[in-house]
Order: sequence, then structure tokens, then C-alpha cells
Amino acid sequence: MVSKVLRYGILGIMGLIWLLPIYLLLANAGKSTADYSGDALWTPGSVTGLVDNVVAVFQTTDVPSGLGITFVYAIVAPIIAVALGAGIAFAVIVLKVKHGFFWFFVIFCGTVFPLQMMLIPWFSVYAKIGLFDTVPGMIIIYSVVALPFSAFVMRNFFAGIAPSVFEAAVVDGAGTWRIFTRIFLPMSTSALVVVFILQATWVWNDFLISLILTQSPSTRPVMPLLNALQSVEGGGPGYTVILTAALVVSIPTALLFGFTQRFFQRGLSLGQY
Amino acid sequence: MKIRRLLPVVAMALAASAVLVSCSSSTTSSATTGTLNFVNDKSWDFKSFSKVSQKDIKVSLNSSTYADQPAFQAFVKQSFRTNKSPGLFTWHTGDQLDQLVKQNLVADTSSIWKKAVANGQIAKSVEDLYTVKGKQYCTPISVDDWVMYYDKKTFAKYGLTAPTTWTEMMSDAAVLKKNGIAPFWSSGGDPWAFVWFQILLAGTDLQLYKDLSTGKASYTDPKVVAVMNVWLDMEKKGYFSDPGSKTAPETQMKDGKLAMIPFGTWYASTIDQVGLKPGSDWGVFTIPAINPSQGKTPVAIETAPACVAQNSSQKALGLKYSAWWMTSEAQTAWSKQQNNLPYNPKATAATQTFVDAGKELATPGKYETYLRYYEATPQVILTEALDEFTGFMTNPGDPTKYLEGIQKVADTYWKSNK
Amino acid sequence: MTTTTSHKATSYQRSAWAFLGPGAAVVVLVLYLPVLYTVYLSFTTYSGLGSPVFAGVANYVALVQDPVFVTSLVNTLIWVAGSLLIPVGIGLVVAYLSFGLKGAAWLRVPFLIPYALSGVAVGIVFGFVLQNGGALSQALAFLHLPGSETRWLQEAPLNTVVMILAASWQGIGVNALLFTVGLQSIPKEPLEAARVDGASGWRLFRFMVWPLLRPSTTIVVGLSIVNSLKTFDIVQAMTQGGPNRVSETLGVSMYRDTFSNSDYGLGSAVAIFLSIITVAASVIYVRRQLAIGDSSGDTASKDA
Repeated sequence: MVSKVLRYGILGIMGLIWLLPIYLLLANAGKSTADYSGDALWTPGSVTGLVDNVVAVFQTTDVPSGLGITFVYAIVAPIIAVALGAGIAFAVIVLKVKHGFFWFFVIFCGTVFPLQMMLIPWFSVYAKIGLFDTVPGMIIIYSVVALPFSAFVMRNFFAGIAPSVFEAAVVDGAGTWRIFTRIFLPMSTSALVVVFILQATWVWNDFLISLILTQSPSTRPVMPLLNALQSVEGGGPGYTVILTAALVVSIPTALLFGFTQRFFQRGLSLGQY
Repeated sequence: MKIRRLLPVVAMALAASAVLVSCSSSTTSSATTGTLNFVNDKSWDFKSFSKVSQKDIKVSLNSSTYADQPAFQAFVKQSFRTNKSPGLFTWHTGDQLDQLVKQNLVADTSSIWKKAVANGQIAKSVEDLYTVKGKQYCTPISVDDWVMYYDKKTFAKYGLTAPTTWTEMMSDAAVLKKNGIAPFWSSGGDPWAFVWFQILLAGTDLQLYKDLSTGKASYTDPKVVAVMNVWLDMEKKGYFSDPGSKTAPETQMKDGKLAMIPFGTWYASTIDQVGLKPGSDWGVFTIPAINPSQGKTPVAIETAPACVAQNSSQKALGLKYSAWWMTSEAQTAWSKQQNNLPYNPKATAATQTFVDAGKELATPGKYETYLRYYEATPQVILTEALDEFTGFMTNPGDPTKYLEGIQKVADTYWKSNK
Repeated sequence: MTTTTSHKATSYQRSAWAFLGPGAAVVVLVLYLPVLYTVYLSFTTYSGLGSPVFAGVANYVALVQDPVFVTSLVNTLIWVAGSLLIPVGIGLVVAYLSFGLKGAAWLRVPFLIPYALSGVAVGIVFGFVLQNGGALSQALAFLHLPGSETRWLQEAPLNTVVMILAASWQGIGVNALLFTVGLQSIPKEPLEAARVDGASGWRLFRFMVWPLLRPSTTIVVGLSIVNSLKTFDIVQAMTQGGPNRVSETLGVSMYRDTFSNSDYGLGSAVAIFLSIITVAASVIYVRRQLAIGDSSGDTASKDA
């Protein structure tokens, strides 16, 4: 019992410390650019100030126009990545494909190379084959970049599932596709959800890939639009409006984490042991 | 359990992307329909400006902004190799423009310039910035002179007036410092670490500044060291704001902690954002030369060029737009929108502050313009210099090792680029 | 190697390829071809304009001779060590402490929100907190604590350390989440048996939970190594690798050479060097762990 109180206490205090920077963001997003001061960062802004800035974000910046297409990227690409990643994990761990470790390592090493260096080759090839500045082009890149992570997590999750599960299903006469979709995927919901939300957040927050590979309003997601508000040589909206815009575009991902939390509620209470 | 719901979602996603493939493959257009693709690195309001051009010459802008400077440059350079080269794009003069011209990538604008200069739309001195080997490339969106923005209220409070000589400026600085106000703004990193080097060096010996940017002089030259020591002296006296502060200069000025900010005339629209008004809250003066025996006072200029890719499918449309942007109608509208100083003498500045500044800068024989350090210095040397200057500002001390660091890179560069 | 890991390959090779093939194909196509191109560029001189000119190993020689290269490498290694220590360690603590508590998911939300923030917001908040005279200094001065005059981002190696802490602020929630999923998949029976044997607290964790968590630890540690070696975004946003390159990491060096200086050859050489050490680190760590992971699948079946 004491240990439980202690655990609540530690987590609560840490959580509050973790929220302090968020407070700073909100406090300063609630000020007009004229009220904002570098010496009084901790003083709170006002709700009306925040509302004014949010209105300014929607009325004077291009950022909201990118929300729709960003949703498409952030939902479709991670689903493809999760599906393909789970397939790879299934082949390597359960079906024990020949040279499985080698193939898995090849896919894992896809995360090793710095993304910045891929931009130029991707752009040249995409411009040649007509995928530059297209929605499918972006979905392909996002899915593939998210794939190794997805395969890595799913592989380790499947490794924890006893082989007897597979053997029993085979005895029952199920085919591999059926075993994959009806047994293994349902058993790993929480892992699938983790991969999905982490990759959806990554896609949502991507800046460099979309900066280089998109151009028109119909394909450009929010982050390059947000970044375009801040150039060193003036122009663009005021500082606190940019800050508010940066917060506004973070709301969907924050909500995603909130709503998916119920997937991680289950589990035994270690406190009893 | 959830998989039955998941599968249709995956299937739908795949179907959706298939549909999107077939839709978006039709977006490549080649016709000159009156919408010009404009790729830029500026957060300026090109959308409003597009309405002006639409009305005037029936061409509108489809603008895409890439505020990340290195990524923007890499993107533009690569796009020349593809069929996506932009009809109009912003760039930088100096070494950056030379690189493109050397490879024959930008359209010749000599005839546009000939007409503009003949019509008195632009000063001949600006033309030089756009001239590579006797021909002109690109056209200016704006030309900005570097001036000193100062806090009128603070100046009034301590009985100071806008200085006209370096000595006056230094004595103003001493008064401000004594009262706990940072006299001058200074910032480390890319891009602004060069500002005080530029002001001090050009103000001391403009020829040396020019020789340095063309590789004829060395950063370890005793005269350059002497200039750095003037900078060091100012650092030691505490005349600069903290280069490690990320608070914007206009906010520092609004907070009453900073009195003077050296910037181009484009800064007016930014300073307005924090509620400071031209005329009553802030004013500008031309930055006096340290060494008055130079005769004319050097004034740094920078210019934002709009260029047309040689192989763009929108070349004709881009050139038409470039020519229009230089006209007095376009420049008046542009300057009204940006609150800055129009380069076209027939256009009018939006505020009295800049009308006055424009008049002052046009005084015959008093000022001499030079290209600011950021454009005048070759890219590789610039990158190194910004780092070294930042190091110098962070830990003010003997400048020699910083200058040697820059010169090392400069030596390598000039050896392979004569 | 293959004979040990693909022990008793099943008779489902054909359908296994149907599962593996699409993923493997797109990864090779989209992620490996650009690497080959970069390898080629690293042996050339190329400014982004015109065509690359073959230059032999000149870029690699220039790389090794650059005095900043050593700083950059050392900073990168500090990032690796720091990322293993702080975000991984605290992530595990958060997951373990919250696990099984009522409302645990909500206790973890404060740690996850930073991850949800956009890069611009994160850059701004760290600017607020860490700049000279910023929020941290203001708070320390208000509380009359020492350190309000510290130049957090301007002194090496302090700036690297505080940036690691800033990165941890963002990364802990994800690690906690991955550990939570791992904790959920731990079977109940062995824990119960251990409790009957009288194990509790630290001993229970050290000898029961920790070994059973290995699949999650592998993921978190493996990803931490790879990602910290590639550290770029936060350093670029906070210090640009400065002042005067003292906080540069290999990722920042690569960006500086390639994009700021348009020296694609040199930048590519840094990228290749970085990738080689990352692959080496992954081979050493992941391979050992995954081999164990494979056999632990078997042990699990024996236990069951």
C-alpha cells in the first residue's frame, strides 16, 4: 500500500515537471506579440489572447489548409507500414523463412542511414518518374521509412508468442494467411497500436521529406507550411502567432496519444507481487 | 478480435492510395495559363501581391516557400536537372548567382535591365550586383540598404540624438550602457554573426573589405586584426546584447533593454509586429563610418533577386513577371505591402521614416553602397566565418585564432577557384 | 550464421516469402538505392550543379584530417551514452512504476505529450528554457538557487549534456510506452511462482521482470543507439552545432558539408562513415540480442 502511494507520488511529481515546458508554451501562446517579453517567460498569457492567436492562425496563415492532406499521410502510411512490418515479422519468426535473420537485418538497417542524405536521390528519381509532388509518392516514402521500425517491434512481439500457438492452428487446418490475420494480429493489438501511433506521429511531424518532395497546396502537409512562417528576413505573422500555430498542429497527435491510451490499460498489477 | 475491423481499413487505405495515384498523375501542366510557379525562401506575403499582378498583367503567383535555407538551395539546384525547374525563384546575388550562371542555368535578363535603367526605374549601381561577365541575370524584388534602427523613446529619455559620426555613436553607447541598456544588437550563428564584422571592416577600409571577399586580401592581415580588436574592445565594454539570447531583437527593444539594431530596410515589417511604430517609437539613421577619411560613407546593401530557370517550361511567363516587378506600379504596391523602401525612385515609400531615409541615402556623393558580407563572401568561407565569429562573440578574446581558422578555409577555396 | 538462426526452417517457405517479399523489396528499392548513390558521391567532388567528378578517397582523407571531426565524433558518442542512460533508464522507471496502477495510462500522458509536439514547438520551448537568461535561469534566480548565470548552450560539453536532457524530455514517453507493451506481454505464472518463493521489490525486478523484458529492451536500446548516432534535429535547432562547432555531431557535420557548403562529396563521406559505425553498433548489439530472442521463443514454449 505504501509502495503504491509512493509510486503515485513519484509519477505525479515527475509528470508535473514534464508539463512545465508545456506550460511555458501555452503561457506565451496566450500573449500578443506586443505583450510577449523575453524576461517574463513564466507570466501566464490570457485565454482571450490565446483565442485571438488561434483565430489569427486560421485566418492569416496557410497552415490549416495542410491539415487534411496531413491526416491522409499520417493514417494511410503507418497502416501500410504496420501491415507490411507484421508480415515480415510473421515470415521471419513464425514461418521461419530461410536466412530469416539476414533478411530481417537487411530491413532493420534501413533505419541506419541518415534521412537527409536520401532527399536528393529521392527528388531526382521522383521528378523523373512523375511521383514528385504527388500524394502516392509521399505515402510510399513514408510507409517505407516507417517499415523497419514496424518490423522490428512486431518481430520482437511475435518472438514472445509460443510456437505451440502456430502448431495448434496448423493442426486445426488453418492456412498461413488465416493464422496471420485471425490469430497473430489479434494477439498483438497493443504492439500494433504502439507502432501505429508512433509512426503516425512521426509522419505528422515530418518536415524535411515533405519540404523537398512536395510543392503544391494539395500535397503539402502542415510542417513545411508552419516552417515557412519563420524566415529570418522578416515577413510572416508575429512570433506568438507562430508559437500558437506550432501548438495547434500538435493537437491531433496529442489527442491520438490520449485516445489510444486504453490499449495500454490492461496488464497485471505488479504492486501485488 | 480487432483484426476484422483492421483488414478493411488496410484494404481501404490501399484502394484510396490507388485512386489518388490515378487522380494526381494529371497534375503536370505545361501550358502558360497565367499562373506562375514561384519557389522562394521568404515568408513574405506573395499571395496578396499575386492579386496585384493578376489585376495588372493577368499573371498570378503560385508560391511555395522553403524557409530552411540550405534545403531550399539544394532543392533549387537539383531541380535544374529535372523538368521541375521553377518559372520564377528567389536566390542570392554574389557567389550564389555566379555558380548558377557558370552552369548556364538562369535566363539572361539583359534586355529587361536595359529598359529599366533607361527608364530610370533603378539605380545603375544595383545593376552591377546582377551582372556576371557583362550580362545581367535575374531581377530585384527589393533592394535593401542597411541602416541602424534605434529606440526613439530610450534615446529621448537619456537626451541622446541619432548620431552622425562614429565617435558620437560610441558616446551614445557609453551613456546607454551606463544606464543598463544594451546599446547594440548582436547575434551568433547563421545568418547574423557577420553583421558587426561587416560594419566595422567596411567602415574602416571598404577596399580591404572588397579585397577580402575576392581573395586578394587575407583574414590574418594586420589591418583585419586591428578591426577585430575594435570589435573586441566594444565587446569588453559591454556594448552588445547577449549573442546567446534567442529573444528576437524587436522584443528586446520593446522591453526597453536594447537601443540599436543594425538591419536592412526589410526589417520594418518585423519591428511593426511587436507594436513599435515608425516615427514615434523607432527611427533609423545611416551607420556612420569609423574612418571618415574614406570620403563616402559605406552602406551595405542586399537585394532579393527573382530568377528564371533557363530550361523552365514557364520561362516566358517568368521573364514577363520579372520585368513587371521592376515597374513603379509594382514597386509602390510591393513597398506598401512590405513597409520597406522601394528601389524604384519613381515609387513611393510607405512611411515617412523611409521617405526621409531614402532621401538621405540619395544625397549625391555622400554614400557608397557595397554588397553585404553574406552574399559577397563565397559560401564555404562564409559558413566557416559565421562559426568563427560566433566563437569570438561567445568568448571574446584574442581574435587571431578565429581569423586563422577562416583564412585556412579561404586558402583552400581560392586555390581551386581563381 | 544462417544455419543457427533459421533453425528448423518450416515447410512454409513459399508463403513465408509472400509475407516477407513485399516489405523487403520496397525497403531495398527505396532505402538502399539512395545509399548506393551516396557511396558513389562520396568518391567524387560535386557541388550539386553540373556532374560529379571522380576524386578517389580525397573526401575521406579530408574528413579524417578535419580537426572538428574528432569533436564531432566525441559528441556523437556522448549522445549515444547519454541516450542509453537517461531516456532509456527513466523510460523504464516510468513504465515500471505506472504498470498495473489504476489510471496508469493517464499518469503516462504527461510524458507522451512532448513526443506529440511539432518540431517547431520543441525548438521554441528549448529556446525559452535554455537560452542565456531564459526560463531556467529566471526560475533559478527566483528560487535563489545557483546557476542562473550559467550559459547552458554556450559551453562545451555542458551544451551537449543539456541537449541530451532536452531530447530525453521528448523521448522518455515513447520508451515508457514500448516498455509498457513489453510488461504486458510478460506471463503471469513465473511472477507468481517467484512471489511464492518470497521474491519482491528489487529482487523481483532484477531476476524476473528484467530478463522477461528482453524483447522490449532490445527494441528500445537498439533504436536508441541508431537514433542517437544520427542526432541532428535538436542540435541544429538549439546551437547549430556551435558556438564555433563545439557541440557538432556527425549528423550536423554531414548537413553542414552537404547543404550549407554544397560539398556533396564530403557530406556523403560523413554519411557513409556514420552509417558504417551505426551498422557496426547494430550488428554487435542487435544480433546478439535477436539471437537470444529467437531461442527465447523456444524456451517460452518449453515453459508452457
